[in-house]
Amino acid sequence: MEVVAITARTLAVCGAALLVALVLGLPLGIFLGRRRFGGSRAMVALVNSGMGAPPVVVGLGVALLLWRSGPLGALGLMYSPKAMVLAQIVIALPLVVGITLAAAGALDDDWELQVQTLGIPRRWRWWLLVREIRLGLLAAVIAALGGILSEVGAVMMVGGNLEGETRVLTTSILMYTQMGDFEAAMGLAVVLLGLTLLLAGLLTALQQGGRT
Amino acid sequence: MSGEVALAARALRVERRARDASFTLVVEELSLRAGEALAVLGPNGAGKSTLLRALAGLDVPAAGRVDCRATGPVTMVFQRPAAFAGSALHNVGAALLGRGLSGKELRERSRQALDRFGVAHLAERRAVTLSGGEMRRLALARAFVLAPSVLLLDEPFDDLDAAGQATLSLDLRRVIEETAVAVAVVTHDLRRAMLLADRVAVLLEGRLAQLGPCEEVLERPRDPAVARVVGMTNLVRGRVLPPRSADLALVEVSGAQELPCRTRLPVGSEVWVGIRPEHLKIDVGRGEVDPVGKAVVEHVVSDGVAASVSLEWGGVQLQTHLLAGRGLARSLARGEAVSLSVSPDHVHVMPADS
Repeated sequence: MEVVAITARTLAVCGAALLVALVLGLPLGIFLGRRRFGGSRAMVALVNSGMGAPPVVVGLGVALLLWRSGPLGALGLMYSPKAMVLAQIVIALPLVVGITLAAAGALDDDWELQVQTLGIPRRWRWWLLVREIRLGLLAAVIAALGGILSEVGAVMMVGGNLEGETRVLTTSILMYTQMGDFEAAMGLAVVLLGLTLLLAGLLTALQQGGRT
Repeated sequence: MSGEVALAARALRVERRARDASFTLVVEELSLRAGEALAVLGPNGAGKSTLLRALAGLDVPAAGRVDCRATGPVTMVFQRPAAFAGSALHNVGAALLGRGLSGKELRERSRQALDRFGVAHLAERRAVTLSGGEMRRLALARAFVLAPSVLLLDEPFDDLDAAGQATLSLDLRRVIEETAVAVAVVTHDLRRAMLLADRVAVLLEGRLAQLGPCEEVLERPRDPAVARVVGMTNLVRGRVLPPRSADLALVEVSGAQELPCRTRLPVGSEVWVGIRPEHLKIDVGRGEVDPVGKAVVEHVVSDGVAASVSLEWGGVQLQTHLLAGRGLARSLARGEAVSLSVSPDHVHVMPADS
């Protein structure tokens, strides 16, 4: 039963982090990809470096924030699933923004002029834009999901791998391996791999099915 | 026939700044009328596309204004129209989004628009797989589904072969007549412009150099620069001589050759003389027009349809066109002496200070 609970917790933490990262990251990525303004280059550079940030460093940063004496210490989030979600948002967000902005930026300027000269209302322009770059948007979802599902360093640091509370698939695999219980570690690794393949496969089917 | 003014530009000034150069377009007055096609001609960099973008409202003018007096929308078809992801039908339907139409209505109207431009059979094809010519027709259908009052076309015949250009121009002409849309078509190619236009505007270095009915601009360009743009390639300097008859003026070119003409300017004034190649005849002795002298054939270049003959006439280089593969075009040899003739009506004289 522990496996089911750990798997469910993994999905809940990753799902929540992914959802927040997408809600924030997709519009921001499209905006950065389509508009130039003072500071936009710096923001793109920040996003690009964020895409390669080591998760363990992100974990350290979030831990410093949430530590009892840290700026957000009063919230008492350290070693809770919320802390893990927060760390994973920080890891996923640059991936979502970075890949989205690349997809949106690759769209020809003529495309936007064309939409403009047809007098299509703003709301529908966004819809057309999303439709146009949806392969790239799904790539952003796949990359972000893969990144946080397989991540261990940051969630270990801010979650603490507490049994029944913050233990997820990656942290349990790490723990069992350190204890020498390779059988349990292997079993959970198979579950994690299966989950990754299943989700990536579903998203890829969605992405390729919509190719136009 | 042309009708009411649909779009009018007044005292328009558009500035475009690039990193290495800036460009200013100034147009005092220009209007597009319902049911009429205006061709905007000019060399590369003259400001043709800038003008079109300003008329479309894509560039905000630094001064002046563009007034739309028609009720329908103003839309534009680009030189390389963008294909939206999805079918051709979706591409046309996209233009109608947000207008409160049901899905069925939207599809019906889209199909009608595709049909109007002869591409209804491509409705289900993905737009990105269409050829250049098919995409252009799709783009026109997408523009016309909006029932526009003003349509702006940027190089609509680009990349099309001669047959494609002819059929597209016929289709466009028919649609202009049916819908009374006001059209402005930008092109650098005179022959393509003539496929469609009722009036011609010539742009030179960001200025509207001449605007008028096709025949007027082609036959009577204001100055040598406009003459070059509208294909009056035979341009020589000359001087006005005292007339020998009451109804004809006379100009002297190249110091010795004399040409009768209709334009009257003060005797002795310096002028430019322009003759369209198609009006310069190699006289074969039919005696329709008095020959103006003897010229020597320098070379004949033929593309299979038309033959371009270069001639030397008293130190002046001239060009004329013949139908390829027939009569003179086949028999003319380099170095041969021929009689030249041109009607005084077709000798266009422009003051040299213009």
